[in-house]
Amino acid sequence: MQSRQSTFLALAMALPAMILLVAFTHFPIIATVVDSFLSTPKPRRPSHYVGLDNYNTMIADPIFWKALTNNLIYAAATIPVSVALALAMALVVNSKIKGRGLLRMAFFTPTVLPMIAVANIWLFFFTPTYGAIDQILSIVGMHATNWLGSTQTALLCVIIVAVWKEAGFFMIFYLAALQTIPPDLIEAARIEGADRWQILRRVTLPLLGPTTLFVAVNAVINAFRTVDHIFVLTGGGPDNATNVLMYEIYLVGFGFFDQGYAAALTVVLLAGLALVAVGQFVLFDKRVHYR
Amino acid sequence: MLVSQIAVEALKKQFGTQNAVSDVSFTVDAGECVVLLGPSGCGKSTTLRLIAGLEPTTSGRIQIAGRDVTGLSASGREISMVFQSYALFPHLDVARNITFGLEVRGVARAERDQRLAKVAELVGLTPYLQRKPSQLSGGQRQRVALARAIISERSVCLMDEPLSNLDAKLRHDMRVEIRDLQQRLGMTMIYVTHDQVEAMTMADRIILMKNGSIEQIGMPHELYDRPASTFVAGFMGLPPMNVIAGDDGADLIGVRAEHITIREANSAPRAGVVTHVEYLGADTMVSVDCPGGVVVARASGQAVKRGDTVGLAWSNEHEHRFDLATGRRLEPRQTQVSHFVSN
Amino acid sequence: MRISRASFASALTLMAILTGTQFAAADTEVRFYYPIAVGGPLTKIIDGYAAEFEASHPGIKVKPIYTGDYIQTTAKALTAVRGGDSPECAIMLAADLYTLTDADAVIPLDDLATTPEDKKWLAGFYPAFMENARVGGKTYAAPFQRSTPVLYWNKEAFKEAGLDPDKAPANWDEMREDAKKLTKRDASGNVTRWGIQIPTDGNAAWLYTGLTTADDVKLINSDGNKTAFNDPRAVESLKYLHDLSYVDASQAKGLTSWGTTPKDFTEGKVAMIWHTTGSLGVIRKNATFGFGLGYLPAKAHFGAPTGGGNFYIFKGLSAEKQKAAFEFIKFMTSADRAADWSIQTGYVATQPASWETPVMKAYVKDVPQAAVARDQLQFAVPEVTAHESARVTKALNDAIAAVMTDSKSAQPALDEAQRQAEIALKDYR
Repeated sequence: MQSRQSTFLALAMALPAMILLVAFTHFPIIATVVDSFLSTPKPRRPSHYVGLDNYNTMIADPIFWKALTNNLIYAAATIPVSVALALAMALVVNSKIKGRGLLRMAFFTPTVLPMIAVANIWLFFFTPTYGAIDQILSIVGMHATNWLGSTQTALLCVIIVAVWKEAGFFMIFYLAALQTIPPDLIEAARIEGADRWQILRRVTLPLLGPTTLFVAVNAVINAFRTVDHIFVLTGGGPDNATNVLMYEIYLVGFGFFDQGYAAALTVVLLAGLALVAVGQFVLFDKRVHYR
Repeated sequence: MLVSQIAVEALKKQFGTQNAVSDVSFTVDAGECVVLLGPSGCGKSTTLRLIAGLEPTTSGRIQIAGRDVTGLSASGREISMVFQSYALFPHLDVARNITFGLEVRGVARAERDQRLAKVAELVGLTPYLQRKPSQLSGGQRQRVALARAIISERSVCLMDEPLSNLDAKLRHDMRVEIRDLQQRLGMTMIYVTHDQVEAMTMADRIILMKNGSIEQIGMPHELYDRPASTFVAGFMGLPPMNVIAGDDGADLIGVRAEHITIREANSAPRAGVVTHVEYLGADTMVSVDCPGGVVVARASGQAVKRGDTVGLAWSNEHEHRFDLATGRRLEPRQTQVSHFVSN
Repeated sequence: MRISRASFASALTLMAILTGTQFAAADTEVRFYYPIAVGGPLTKIIDGYAAEFEASHPGIKVKPIYTGDYIQTTAKALTAVRGGDSPECAIMLAADLYTLTDADAVIPLDDLATTPEDKKWLAGFYPAFMENARVGGKTYAAPFQRSTPVLYWNKEAFKEAGLDPDKAPANWDEMREDAKKLTKRDASGNVTRWGIQIPTDGNAAWLYTGLTTADDVKLINSDGNKTAFNDPRAVESLKYLHDLSYVDASQAKGLTSWGTTPKDFTEGKVAMIWHTTGSLGVIRKNATFGFGLGYLPAKAHFGAPTGGGNFYIFKGLSAEKQKAAFEFIKFMTSADRAADWSIQTGYVATQPASWETPVMKAYVKDVPQAAVARDQLQFAVPEVTAHESARVTKALNDAIAAVMTDSKSAQPALDEAQRQAEIALKDYR
């Protein structure tokens, strides 16, 4: 009797969270999977079951492959660079240097700015001729470069903005983790004769393991999720040079209103992300030391 | 020629405008255990950290094994150290914790294993080598920290209140063990503690510090028997030495509880009312409110009650005199005549 | 089917809350979405019109809702329609005609234009603007903020280059030669002034239609279901645009920015630009030199696209609401209002009657350039107006971007665009 009551109470308390999860996470996922097997309703033909047609379209769609390739390049560049940069910045602002507070603020500022605002600032930086970057480069005699208007540089620009934005955010996690490492441990390592590099590799990094795992999972998710700046900077162009999966999903779903194909794209993205996240946890969980 | 293993000269450390350590000089001989003793905030830990190289000095010189290490970083000083928190690496097992230093210094695997086996045996950790620190008891962690210091085979070992996180019983055992190891292995040790009992039992010599300066250096019995100041007198021994105003009002008189005899009130130079009686089994501690201050005397078996008026007497040789203004010891030679008090 | 509807529902509900559902009192409320695509204090002007309308039409309340750019406005409107909470009317791209009728989201205005007066109003607009307002003999949209691209040229730069400052290049060859002469380089070879700039980021297809129309090819049929993206003349047009950058080096390489082009012009960084008439105001304000405004140069003949937004009325509303929306639209697109809107923004006044108003006559006298856009309308065709408009237009834009970044040549790029358009349009034939 008692236990039945407490079970009921527990359920009642979990209910609000469960309703939100079901309504905004689980149900949409299921609905998306179902939609991906249906055609998009057309004026002359309502939505109907089409089996794997949407997925076949995807395989035949060069823009999907382009977006996927771009996304992999984007992820391969932003994840390691932003995580490494975050760690480096955290180490710098965690040390006893002058102007530490100012540096911390400078590193963190990109994170608190809205991405759209950030992108607009960078839009100005990248503007050919007038932009900050070209102005600086012109001092050393370099020609004006059409950063965002060229297929060779546009993706790089988008990556740079993402790294600049993300690194500060991840730095906060590293900084917090660094401050929970007892100074004794570092001192003990110094006494034992370890140099800076050995301390970093043998003490600091292992102790930051859980943070690195957390940050890495987030970085992976963000690499497939953060597309706000692409809207402002390039709109996915030129010629899909900066189109990534999430942006393509937006275009197909809310630009073309092609619900079935957008659902199929979403399913592929979701499955990929889930796989990566599970893989990361399985792979690293044993190697990460939790205090 | 015997060179002192550690020499500290005019060491000074300021944190901002605060003097943490001022003008501290001493030497430690090879194989000697010197205890830095004092209340918290006296600068003993800071002194140790300066010697370890964990803090830069403001001024002064530090020599270890005849080498000036003042400008060297901690990693270059070739010492070992045991921290109050043990500072064990939580992500490494016991074996890797112990051999951490050997690894970073590039000692070969075979030699590491050999030394590890020996040291683990020495401190009784052999069954626990594969465990993580979080799976060990406090005493075992302490032993890991100790083993890490021993395995380095460095001649100088610094200990920063290594026993303060242990319970009383364990603390006693470890005290004995550490002293034993130190003597057996011939380690030169500087040991920081605020516990005068620990200092008395472990030290070859004690350096008692106060407000960043050395109050007295000496063997334990020297500090006990000839305290250099009222501060030393009050810090060493349990109960601490009684310090009361002298009859002439110019000096302070110090006398230990065990040197006081309780008599009839009218047959003694001093008399007072018993305010407190503490029965400890073998002894009874009697607090007497005398002119000049409250005096604690050790009595054995006498039936003294609270409220009794008693006389107190002590022999001349057990009386210490201190300057009223500075609290520094006044040598008996100067005071013998004018302040003679008969039995 | 049921589930697929529902999956949109949560997002739509949220959207509805955000856009603000106003409770209607006794008054009939007309909510209207509008985008902003050019500079200037447009919100203020729109609000002013709404207030004027309310004053002269008791019983109707107008609630203007700013909804971002054109693409966002269409997305929001269609999302609201699917969520069952559509506004009464909206200004959306003229080129979205089929997108909106395919979604069954809008109603023909003929249904509401019952009186002879209404019919006269609907017949009063320039035919060029009405071409992409009609489907199957019915009129679904009323022209409002309509534009057409024109050529702006810097007269001082022309003088400096030894060209006649009062004569715009009349055809492609002239423009090409002029552009070469107008391109200026410093001692180290850096370009200090480009000859020409036809911006190619964003909706490049619009200006590109200016080339194809002059080259006598229609990129799409009037049913909006058959494109001719890889027609030889379409290829020729794109190659011309490409060669300005990569053969003549009289235009910057890569995509050039629609947004900064007026500034590039007024700062003297470029001697000739193609841009909307809507930028006339900004350029007039900022140019420190004399400038001309002319037709886009001819190839086979003159030609230009029309662009911009029309008023639409949504389906599924009460007759009363639709009537109120219709009144509002008539008010907003009347000859007087169109004249005022044109003067204030630079958009082309949508009907001959507007140009006969005293204010407009005075304006044209003051700013003769304003009439150029109107006169060019005789050569104008609608911009690419297709079913699956966003997808088809993107295919074309991608092709232009690929060519203008020199990563593909014109023929294969346009073949690919045509292939994608075929896939998108096969269900609409």
